[in-house]
Amino acid sequence: MIMFALKTLLAQHLRFILTVFGIALCVILMLFLLSIYKGVSVGSVEYVRESEADLWILQRHATNILRSTSILTTYHGNVIKKVKGVKSVAPVLFILASLKMEEGPATIYLTGFDPETGIGGPPALYKGRNLTENNQIILDRSFAAKYKIDIGDRIPVKDETLTVVGLSTGTNMFVIQYAFITLKKAHSIVGFPNIVSCYQVKAEPGTDPSDIANLIMSELSDIAVFDQKSFLANNIHEMESGLLPLLYVVACIGAVVLTAILSLILSVNVLERRKDYAIMKALGSPGSFIPGTVIQQALMLAGSGVTVALILFFPLTEVVEKLSPEVSVISSLIQIIIVIAGVGLISLISSFIPIRKLSNIYPLEVFR
Amino acid sequence: MKIKKENNCVARLVNVTKVYNGAGTETAALKDVSFQACAGEMVLLLGPSGSGKTTLLTLLAGLQQPSAGEVYIYGQKVNEYSSKELQKLRAGRIGFIFQTFYLLDSLTVLDNVLLVMKFAGVGRTEAQSRAFHFLDKFGVKHLIHTYPKALSQGEKQRVAVARALANGAEFIIADEPTGSLATNQGMTIVRFLQDSVKTEKRCVVIASHDERIAGYADRVLYLHDGMLGEHRRGQRPEI
Repeated sequence: MIMFALKTLLAQHLRFILTVFGIALCVILMLFLLSIYKGVSVGSVEYVRESEADLWILQRHATNILRSTSILTTYHGNVIKKVKGVKSVAPVLFILASLKMEEGPATIYLTGFDPETGIGGPPALYKGRNLTENNQIILDRSFAAKYKIDIGDRIPVKDETLTVVGLSTGTNMFVIQYAFITLKKAHSIVGFPNIVSCYQVKAEPGTDPSDIANLIMSELSDIAVFDQKSFLANNIHEMESGLLPLLYVVACIGAVVLTAILSLILSVNVLERRKDYAIMKALGSPGSFIPGTVIQQALMLAGSGVTVALILFFPLTEVVEKLSPEVSVISSLIQIIIVIAGVGLISLISSFIPIRKLSNIYPLEVFR
Repeated sequence: MKIKKENNCVARLVNVTKVYNGAGTETAALKDVSFQACAGEMVLLLGPSGSGKTTLLTLLAGLQQPSAGEVYIYGQKVNEYSSKELQKLRAGRIGFIFQTFYLLDSLTVLDNVLLVMKFAGVGRTEAQSRAFHFLDKFGVKHLIHTYPKALSQGEKQRVAVARALANGAEFIIADEPTGSLATNQGMTIVRFLQDSVKTEKRCVVIASHDERIAGYADRVLYLHDGMLGEHRRGQRPEI
């Protein structure tokens, strides 16, 4: 009976409110984890995902651009250009650079590309325009927000001072952000004019990129060639292997805390209502009725907690993004559905212990 | 559920002994007790505290098994009922009135009465109709949305009787029903039960140490140290 379950919960107002807020905090934690994961996964691989390249050429043994070193030379580029079926070859140079900001040093993932082709540049511009000169830079939107940088500002990069002309999105990797400069400026900064990190290759229409990949590999032995799909998969795998274990641990802690809160409160309610349950047993309640009231209580608490969490989550997200712009939070309906399903499952699991306690309540107790 | 009925006897105990095992000790609550309660009669079990009255009631309700002897409820041995059948029996064919009435505090008066009928599988419309009928009969219909904490002892008593009778039980078990009431209120509940015996041919078994109830009972039995004897008014019982 829903009324019995509801009244049992509401009988202790303060306990009910505290429990709902405890559950809501756990749910918010889970939603944040999923949203941060989504934000990091977009920010980490959007650059690769949005690339127009058919093939990615890296140094042999390098598999991704997130956590592997790849150094190629202009010689490699010249050889690739001559391979049959290759339409264009875009060199990109990645440099980890430290900026001297007023707040202290800040590290960015400088990406040198050829603005003429646009290949290798930012996946999307939030504000401003693309590079037209060597002394210009496009910053990640969250990086700019964190250091209160806007279009037209000048920032020191190594020994150079560059003017910000654009702010990009999909370029926030959480621990570090992309920034885009011309390849020429990148060579100038790194001090070696003939090196690149990778080449992004476009195939002629009607040609098979895998045929071109085979031809390139037959010409160059010290490279690794990936089609767009497998290279994206490599980068996603690299990102997940670094991030997911941490998220799993925190999510598990959240789930355990949630289970403990629910289980404890339901057990207390069962013990406090011991006499009521004994009366119901004596009066002939069906076997599923009393456990059903416990499950109803669990679902009501979980439902209330989820509702409060959803009300608080979006305003809290905005606050977090204002306080820490580098924390990229992207939420979606599917995440919310996953969390609601997870909390529902946890509420059923947490009913197990209190339901077991019910078996120790005997109808004879009401005759004592 | 198949219910057999021998004559009009609702419950029967045959040479029943009930022993409770404690920490290294055994206590016989009932000793070789034979007893039956039939439709259309009110039976009063008198006896002091610890005499075995409550044990006898719980055996009649199928809430526990005897250590020796046989208990029949509606003509069938209690140990031949499955636990589900016993649950259905208590929900639909046995009404309970407890010493302190034990209404569920978290439910309104109406929901307290409806709950038992829900256990018995009575449809909501029919259950509401019955609930209103009995609450009206016992003068507490105006309290249907009130919670037990706001009721007087007398009002709780009437709701408890309505709850016991509303599911249509032919067998009412009452444990010290007057124990927590003032004299006039206590006798009111007994009169309600007596009326249900006469008009609806129910069987009522009351366990009490209140000898004033004897005047309303068709039979009075006396329990002392787990043994049962006939009680003659004005005399000490012979065991």
